[in-house]
Amino acid sequence: MISYRLFAPLMGLSLLAASPNPVSGEADLEGKQCFESRKDLSQVQQREIKPGVTNIKCSPTTGGVLYWGDPFDGTIPMGDMPVEADYSHEEAVVKPREPQIDRNKLLTICSMACHNGEYVPYPENKLARPLTMHKDIVPDAMQLKHGKQAIWCLDCHHAATRTKLIDNYGNEVSFNQPQILCGKCHGQVYRSWRDGIHGKRIGMWDKGGKKRWWVCTECHNPHDVQQGERNSGFAQLDPEPAPILPKGMLNTDHERGHGQDHGGTTH
Amino acid sequence: MSSQINKQNNHNSRAKDVSRRDFLRKAGTYSAASLTGAAMLLSPRPARATKNVTWAEHFQKNYRLMTDEEKEEAIERLVKRYSEEFGKKVNVNDTPAIDGVLFGYALNIQKCIGCRRCVKACVAENNQSRGDKQQIEWIRVMRLEKGKFSEEDRDNSGYPQDFGIQVGGNAYKPAGVVLEGQHYYEADKVPEKDAFYLPMQCMQCEKPPCVKVCPVRTTYRDPDGIVVIDYNWCIGCRMCIGACPYWARRFNWGEPDLPAADMNPDTHYLGNRPRMKGVVEKCTFCIQRTRKGRWTGCVEVCPVGARKLGNLLDPDSDVRKILATKKVFRLRADLNTYPKFFYFMN
Repeated sequence: MISYRLFAPLMGLSLLAASPNPVSGEADLEGKQCFESRKDLSQVQQREIKPGVTNIKCSPTTGGVLYWGDPFDGTIPMGDMPVEADYSHEEAVVKPREPQIDRNKLLTICSMACHNGEYVPYPENKLARPLTMHKDIVPDAMQLKHGKQAIWCLDCHHAATRTKLIDNYGNEVSFNQPQILCGKCHGQVYRSWRDGIHGKRIGMWDKGGKKRWWVCTECHNPHDVQQGERNSGFAQLDPEPAPILPKGMLNTDHERGHGQDHGGTTH
Repeated sequence: MSSQINKQNNHNSRAKDVSRRDFLRKAGTYSAASLTGAAMLLSPRPARATKNVTWAEHFQKNYRLMTDEEKEEAIERLVKRYSEEFGKKVNVNDTPAIDGVLFGYALNIQKCIGCRRCVKACVAENNQSRGDKQQIEWIRVMRLEKGKFSEEDRDNSGYPQDFGIQVGGNAYKPAGVVLEGQHYYEADKVPEKDAFYLPMQCMQCEKPPCVKVCPVRTTYRDPDGIVVIDYNWCIGCRMCIGACPYWARRFNWGEPDLPAADMNPDTHYLGNRPRMKGVVEKCTFCIQRTRKGRWTGCVEVCPVGARKLGNLLDPDSDVRKILATKKVFRLRADLNTYPKFFYFMN
């Protein structure tokens, strides 16, 4: 047993060393890599799916996706959901989050090496304490801004299987279906999402048509969900360029002033 | 005196000579120019768009009055011409409205971050003119400043200084916003603090003022509620632009600049097929997509999911659910245009 405990982390660390990507580095931005909603965490590689048709078109200025040639490219079935909704009687697909989140195979390695349920024992309480390790590889977690200090890592992450999340009963939840986990606390938003009001879907609008559903973490950063003082669920993005001024308009000063500036007798 | 008269006569005759010389010179120039023009017309590769429109295209009927065969012919002509012009296989659909569908649109103004991605996606999808010479965008994102109201202002003064008409609030609580938008805002990052954004496009009114004023009836409301334009029948009078209270319509003042590589070959006759100089265009809820069941370009591309499109006649559609459960408003509801474009808040 002791030998296994010593061996497992070594094996994990050796895997880590052999991993082709840098541990905390970005995905390869070479070629045309664009992002869907979250910059750097919803990357898509542009490629040809049919002659003359690419899977996506990218914005030349911001790198955001402007067009899906095939909205269901690279998706998997959403799978069973606990409550019936549109996705129950339509073909519902999601883009798997695991490849994005675990692109460096870090989570896999952690599960095998240290957090296997034995080597690092399950903590006794949830009292806040500074992490002694991983400050470098989990930058988001060091600035956890979610739940106003009432929740911590293992309320969402599986203690032993790091490639999984957990629901209220400790059952494993896939990273591809974070809505099952997030819905635990955010019930109202979850219901809205099920109705198609909150969040985003692409594909066919018609009843019964195939739809790709966006899941929570495709737009929100679960570790910094309030975005600091901005208190907003969505991180700031670079805007696309403003329209060209019409002929004869020298500047946009007229827009910036209010009331008296452009002769408006507004009140 | 006589010398004076002679001088005057001489002057007159010289003036006449000059004008005659001028006339001859100008006539020469004109004839040269016309010859050049004729040579240009006879050149084997005519310029794109209007210069390449066939006679048959000029003399075809209003789209609504065409028989099925005439429609087919018109579309065949277009497919041939577009495919030649853009060097790729271009489809021109005439998909009719789907029975039992009335399109409605809902936009969450609390969610919109003003990133203008919908604007650019619309241009990529709908073959608008782009580039420095003539840029046409169907969606206009307005940046509105949030009102700066404090307890002190509320109690000690009336309207805050330097701000325009306020919306919302009442005599005791002047909470609200400034009713003046910025269209050409430039920001490093969006959303900006103290601002919110209001995208505007064609509202597909149930009683569209643009349709009322069109003297040639080239723009009309289709049964699924989309207001469309038959570009070939448009005379470019721009009455509809004047009538639209939502600034939704755009005019092709010049030859549209649409690079062949960027052209979207999946088009609809009443929608995103390449336009000509001198015609009006506007948002059609991506008619080439929606009539085949696919969401519009702007709905799909919105990074925050603020845009929703659905069937207003289907009580289970997301738009109907929004109308039933959210706070909803329409722009200029006082004008009785009955827009099918709703803005909502959580």
